[in-house]
Amino acid sequence: MSGGVDSSTAAALLLEEGHEVVGATLKLWGGVSDSGCCSVADVEDARRVAQTLGIDHHVFNYTEEFERHVVAPFVEGHLAGQSPNPCIECNRHIKFDLLFERALRLGFDAVATGHHARVVEREGVHLLVRGADDRKDQSYVLGYLREDQLALLLLPIGHLTKGEVRGHAERLGLCTWDKPDSQDVCFIEASKGREVFLRQRATLTTASIVDVVTGERLGESAAAELMTVGQRRGVLAGRDGEKRYVSRVDLANRRVEVGRLEEILVTSLSFDERSLSFSHAELHDGATVLAQCSAHGRPIPATLRHDGSWRLELHAPARPVAAGQSVVLYRVDDPAVVVGAAIVSSA
Amino acid sequence: MSEYYFDHAASAPRRDEVTEAMARWQHGVVGNPSGSHRAAREARRALEEARDEVAELVGSKPGGVIFTAGGTESCQLAIVGTAHRFRHTHERCEIVVSRIEHHAILDAAEMMAGDCDDVVVRYVEVDADGVVDLDSLRGLVNKDTAIVSVMAVNNETGVRQPLDGVNSVVRAIPGEALTHTDAVAAAPWLSLPVVTAAMDMVSICAHKIGGPVNSGALVVRHDAAIDPVTPGGGQERGRRGGTVDVAAAVGLAAALRITNAELTEVTDRVLDYQEKLTAAFSFLPGCVVTSAGAARVPGTVHATFEGLASDEILFLLDQSGVCASAAASCSSGATTQSHVLAAMGVAPQRARGSIRFSMGGETTDADVDALISILSSVIYRLHGEA
Repeated sequence: MSGGVDSSTAAALLLEEGHEVVGATLKLWGGVSDSGCCSVADVEDARRVAQTLGIDHHVFNYTEEFERHVVAPFVEGHLAGQSPNPCIECNRHIKFDLLFERALRLGFDAVATGHHARVVEREGVHLLVRGADDRKDQSYVLGYLREDQLALLLLPIGHLTKGEVRGHAERLGLCTWDKPDSQDVCFIEASKGREVFLRQRATLTTASIVDVVTGERLGESAAAELMTVGQRRGVLAGRDGEKRYVSRVDLANRRVEVGRLEEILVTSLSFDERSLSFSHAELHDGATVLAQCSAHGRPIPATLRHDGSWRLELHAPARPVAAGQSVVLYRVDDPAVVVGAAIVSSA
Repeated sequence: MSEYYFDHAASAPRRDEVTEAMARWQHGVVGNPSGSHRAAREARRALEEARDEVAELVGSKPGGVIFTAGGTESCQLAIVGTAHRFRHTHERCEIVVSRIEHHAILDAAEMMAGDCDDVVVRYVEVDADGVVDLDSLRGLVNKDTAIVSVMAVNNETGVRQPLDGVNSVVRAIPGEALTHTDAVAAAPWLSLPVVTAAMDMVSICAHKIGGPVNSGALVVRHDAAIDPVTPGGGQERGRRGGTVDVAAAVGLAAALRITNAELTEVTDRVLDYQEKLTAAFSFLPGCVVTSAGAARVPGTVHATFEGLASDEILFLLDQSGVCASAAASCSSGATTQSHVLAAMGVAPQRARGSIRFSMGGETTDADVDALISILSSVIYRLHGEA
C-alpha cells in the first residue's frame, strides 16, 4: 500500500471479496522525497486507509535493498550512458522478489498490488494482461514477472478504469480517493529533477552537441548523462531550421550527436541475453511480437532473432531506444498479453 | 487473542492512579497558573505541589525543575539552551555527546552545528558492550566544551552508563562545561537522586513510567545557566516560555511517586524475568543477547538474530499477540539500522535482525513464559524448521 488510491482500493476490493488482508507499505527511499511512494505522509495515508478498512498494517524497511538494487544501478547506468528504468528494477528486485519471498515466509497465500494490469489464468497458465484502462496500463513495468510469480499475484483493480477506482474509493470512504496520481521517480525530488540528484552522487560530463547532418557544433550540454538517444527536448534545431534528435551519446569523447528524425531511426534493437525474460513459454528465433519500449509507448511489430546474440528486427523504422531501457514484448495475435521483456543494450 | 506487552521502553501502561490524579485538571475551569485570581491560584498551587514532589523524588531543589512537554523537549532544552548561553561568552562552542544518544540529543546537537559556524559536535565512542569509553571522553573535553551529554541508560540495549566517571572526567578538566544526562530510559529502574547527584542536568519523561505522554522535566542544578528555547512568556523562571500544563505536571509527579514506591519489588521480580529470557534466548538459533555481560537495567532484553529480518520477526510476534519493537524506527514506523548497534561494532547483517523486549511492573510470569514459547516458534519457523 503506497498511500495512493490504487493500492487503497485494491485492499478494499480484496476485503469485499472475502480475503483476509494485511496491508504492507514498503519504506524504500531513505533520503529526501517530495513525490512517489516513500514519504512519511504517504505512509500515514496508507495507515489511515488500513484503519478505515479495519485491517492490520505494517511498514517494511527495504531502504538498503532499494539503494543496492535500484538507486545505485540507476546512477551507474547514467554514468555509463544508459537510461535505466528504476520502477522496473524496483518491481523486479523488491516488490516481486523480496516482498514475495517474505510474504510466503510469513504464511501468506498471495500478494496483491494496485497496478493497472491483470493476471488471467488460461489452461492452467497465468498470463499478464494489460489493464482495462489504456491510459493507465502498467503491464510494461511488470513485464519481467514470470509465470510462477504471476500465480501468486492478485491485481484487484486491473479490470477497472482509473475513474472507477476513484469511485470505489469514494464509496468506501477512503481518504485517498481524490489524491493526485504520482508521476515521478519516488527518490527524485520533482522540484529539483534528475540532474540535481545525479550531481549529488557524481560529476557529470559536459559535451559538445554536434549536428551529424552538417558537422556543425550546435551548442553544449552541461550533463551529457541526461541526454537520451531519441530525445528532442533541449536540442536546438539545425541551421536548416529543422528539428534535431539525439542519435548518439559518446561520454568518453564528450560528444552528443544529433540528427534529423529520418536519419536516426533504427530497424533493430539488440539486447543482453542475461536480461531476457519470458513470462511463460520461451520464444524462439523468428517469433513475431509487439515490442513496447516505454511505459506508454506505441507497440511496434517485430521479429525476435537469435543468431548468436538476441535482437529484435522492427517491421518499420522507429525512434532509437536508449541502452538500459526495457522493451516489453506482447503477443501479436492477442496484443494485451505480455510474453517477455529485455533490456536494450544498443539500438 | 491474549496480548503480551513487551514494549514498555516505547511507552509504559498508563497507571490508574496517574489518570485519577490528573482528572481534576482535565475538565471544567483550569486556571492559567500565571494568573492572579482564585482559579489561577488553585492551578498554581497544584503545579507547585507537583514541582515539590518531582524535586524530592529526583533529588533536586524545586527551582531546578523545569516542566516540559516530554523527553525530547527536555533534551533539546539542555543542548540548545546550554550552547546558546555558552556562545555569549565564548568564541567556540563544542557539544560533546556519546554516539549512542537518542536522536533527541544527536539531532539537537547537529542542528546547532549546522546553523552556527562556531559550534561543533564531538562524539564519545563506546565499547563493544555499548558502554561509554571514558578515555575517549577525556580526549574530547576542553575549555571550549559547553556541554557533555551522556545518557544514564541506553534506550535500545538497556545498558547503564558510568555517569560518575563522566562527571569525574569533566570536572578534572578546567572549563565551564555542564553535564547532562538523558535519564528517560533510566527513570523506571534507577534511583533518580543518585543520577541527579552525578550530573548538572537530567531529562526525564512521564510516559515511560506510567504517566501521560507530552509530559516531562529538565532538572537543572541551581547555578547551571541555560537560555530558553521558547523564550516567550517567561514561565518556569524564564527557562521555558508557554503556559504550563498543570495536568501533565501532576501526572509526572504521580508517576514518579508510584514508580519510586514500587522500585524494589518491581526490580527484584523483573530481574528474574530478564535472567530467564536471557538464558532462554541463548538457545535459539543465531541469537545473541546484546550486552548480556554488561550492567543492564532489569527491564530490557535486546537480542540480534543472525540471518533474519526484524520486520519479519515482529510481524509474526504481532500475529501471536506479542508487542515488541526493533527499538530503532523512523517516523514512518519502519525499522531502521540502529546507530547504537553500529557504534558498538555489531555487524549490519546481525543488526538487521534485532529486537528489543522491554518489561515493567505489569509484566507477569505468564507473559514471560508465553514470550519464550512464541518467540521460539517464530524463530524456528523463519529458519524453515517449523
